Amino acid sequence: MLATLLKKLVKIFTSLRLTVILLTFAIVLVFIGTLAQVDEGLYQAQARYFRQWIVLGLDVFGRKIPVILPGGYLIGTLLLINLLAAHIYRFQLSVKKIGIQLTHAGVILLLVGQLVTDMMARETQMHFVEGETKSYSESPRNYELIFTTEDGANSDLEVAISDKLLARDGEIENTNLPFSIRVKSFWKNSEPQFRAPMMQNGPPLATNGVAANFDFHPLAETKTMDDKNVPTAEIEIIGANGSLGDWIVSDWTTDDSMIEALRQDYASQLGAQMAQKIIGDLTQPQFVSANGRKYTFALQPERMRFPFSLTLLKATHTIYEGTDIPKDFRSRVQLQNPRTGENREVEISMNHPLRYDGLTFYQYQMSAGEAVEQAGQTPSSVLQVVRNPAWLTPYLGCALVAAGLVTQFMFHLVGFISKRK
Amino acid sequence: MSFRNATILTLAAFALIGCNRDDVKVYHVAKDDSAAPPQNQIVAPVPTENSQPQLQFKLPGGWQEIAPSQMRVASFTVTGTNGETADVGVIPLPSTGQEIQLVNMWRQQMELPALTNETAAETISVGNDSAKLFDIASDALLIDGKSRARILVAMLTRGEMSWFFKMTGDDSFVAAQKPNFLQFLKSISFVQNAPAQIAAAPAAQSEGGKSIWAVPPDWKQIDPGAMLSAKFSITSGDGSAEVNILSSGMDSGLAANVNRWRGQLGLPTADETDFSKSISTFDIPNGHATLVDFNGTDSKTGKPARLVGAIVPQNGQTWFYKLMGDDEIVASQKDAFIKFIQSAKYPDAGNAP
Repeated sequence: MLATLLKKLVKIFTSLRLTVILLTFAIVLVFIGTLAQVDEGLYQAQARYFRQWIVLGLDVFGRKIPVILPGGYLIGTLLLINLLAAHIYRFQLSVKKIGIQLTHAGVILLLVGQLVTDMMARETQMHFVEGETKSYSESPRNYELIFTTEDGANSDLEVAISDKLLARDGEIENTNLPFSIRVKSFWKNSEPQFRAPMMQNGPPLATNGVAANFDFHPLAETKTMDDKNVPTAEIEIIGANGSLGDWIVSDWTTDDSMIEALRQDYASQLGAQMAQKIIGDLTQPQFVSANGRKYTFALQPERMRFPFSLTLLKATHTIYEGTDIPKDFRSRVQLQNPRTGENREVEISMNHPLRYDGLTFYQYQMSAGEAVEQAGQTPSSVLQVVRNPAWLTPYLGCALVAAGLVTQFMFHLVGFISKRK
Repeated sequence: MSFRNATILTLAAFALIGCNRDDVKVYHVAKDDSAAPPQNQIVAPVPTENSQPQLQFKLPGGWQEIAPSQMRVASFTVTGTNGETADVGVIPLPSTGQEIQLVNMWRQQMELPALTNETAAETISVGNDSAKLFDIASDALLIDGKSRARILVAMLTRGEMSWFFKMTGDDSFVAAQKPNFLQFLKSISFVQNAPAQIAAAPAAQSEGGKSIWAVPPDWKQIDPGAMLSAKFSITSGDGSAEVNILSSGMDSGLAANVNRWRGQLGLPTADETDFSKSISTFDIPNGHATLVDFNGTDSKTGKPARLVGAIVPQNGQTWFYKLMGDDEIVASQKDAFIKFIQSAKYPDAGNAP
């Protein structure tokens, strides 16, 4: 009985028919996922169709279609199992078949590599102005609520709670914090509003901190690549003897670029002095005291921390003379690693990334050159920081496939030629 | 390797990869890691005297408020049934991180050795905030050589200020008053001053659910965005206009504000004497408002536009009303705009926090 069932399963998983069916589904999914990006944006379409086991219902051109489809993860996994099963089941160790074996191994490596990339790769950004030193990069899409307290004369303890956990609206505890955090509400996207008298709104959202001067409203999640979501959460901090108060935490109070945009907006309406005062209120650090220690907290982009630091020495942006066409973006950085004693200068430019400690630093954006200097701003640079443990697998996979195909072809060619002789 | 084993291994590998996602992470980082602000970062302003919040509290029985002196923002005297007295004061100081030195200064007064850290403190509540309480009793007979003295000091760090609540007096009397002192501390709330801090929306912002302005029927209230107190749009035929209402705690002068409006119409900056012809006043329930009227080109759309603006000083705030849009609509709405401003009910100065 069991043997028959196993035989049937093996037959299904080793069949070429399954491969064809899965590839057909993959084609359909890619088509639908591509169309869906128009309405849902790149990241949501990726999450809904490709980084998913089962897709329930489609939205195409604003219409809902009640269909159940296998998601990207399911198709990929089944394809991998299919390929592995066929490979193992039909495996014959013979010189004649070595080309086919190599090709299959290459495809398997590509599939596994893609899965590992999807699960483990992280893309973050490092923003710095000339002269600034950073030992972390920040996620463009994920956020974390960070509690910081002194942990000694020269070090701080940081407890970072991811926005995924905040979005679950529950109570969060951690052994490093003498209090728990109850998330009362979490908005993926929000906007601040200044609390002036006579405003048509209710009492402040929370009793402490920034909420005294600012209201925050939820906004619809943005889907486009050019806009970003700015999250806000309402939290209550609960100590051993009861509530320590309510606070509003928002990326609006920590994100330099958003703060600068707001400041300019206020300055145009109220003058620079008043704008500075308002922004001062908005960016005032918030903290809570518990067990005799002070915990500063803020909702900010998720950080990837490094055991080394980079200092931006010079950001260079050259253009082709007489045009506005960029010729070169280049960041000269000082790399310092106290663990290894390294202290050296590195040039990062387009197509010449810095690969260091399992990370790749690509030149991403830049604000430098004559226009920036004339505006009296300090030149700055943005590096895209990628950690991908599987970055070599596509190269190896493709090399294996190519080697397999060449070997197979050569066998046939040699056999054919020797037959003719 | 059998097919079954291979499959199991593969699935186990997926499970391992998929589980590696933490929701809470803990780091130990060097202090200067994120402390250095980028050069273009906005630095929060140092609090000035008038941005100091006011205290609200409930006084326990036997406590009397007296005029504060020197550095104090509030002073109280506490009298016991047998005529014993104690002194209570509230002292705000800029936060230095070296508050323990002040506590040591008071310990020195009590002829006690200095503390090296704050571990001797109890954690208590000042309003909604958690604070530290130092209970300092002398060993020597410091009061007239007859009785021992005691100081209770609660220390609260709030923003860039440290607040000290201090009770001094006879050892046994202060010890007896400690529950009252803690109760007083618990009842404290901080309320920001209106002029420097933008006041929170007062509770009396609407009356019987009605808006505080009498809004003309053809005005449509729209989302005011981050800056404005309120915003209305008026459309008629092909034309449109908008009414913006903004309040500010800072009086930057008539010329600066009128020139700001002139700038929005693409008009050059002018002196008060230059645009005096375009200025008039009108009555509002408790005073006068200044009205300006200009024609120009909307700097955003490049179309001809007219701007009628009113400046209304009220209870330490200045209210800016702006009607701007197509000339025809602005002309037809000007009277309604003035009536709208006259209908406004502002929060009382007493109500404004």
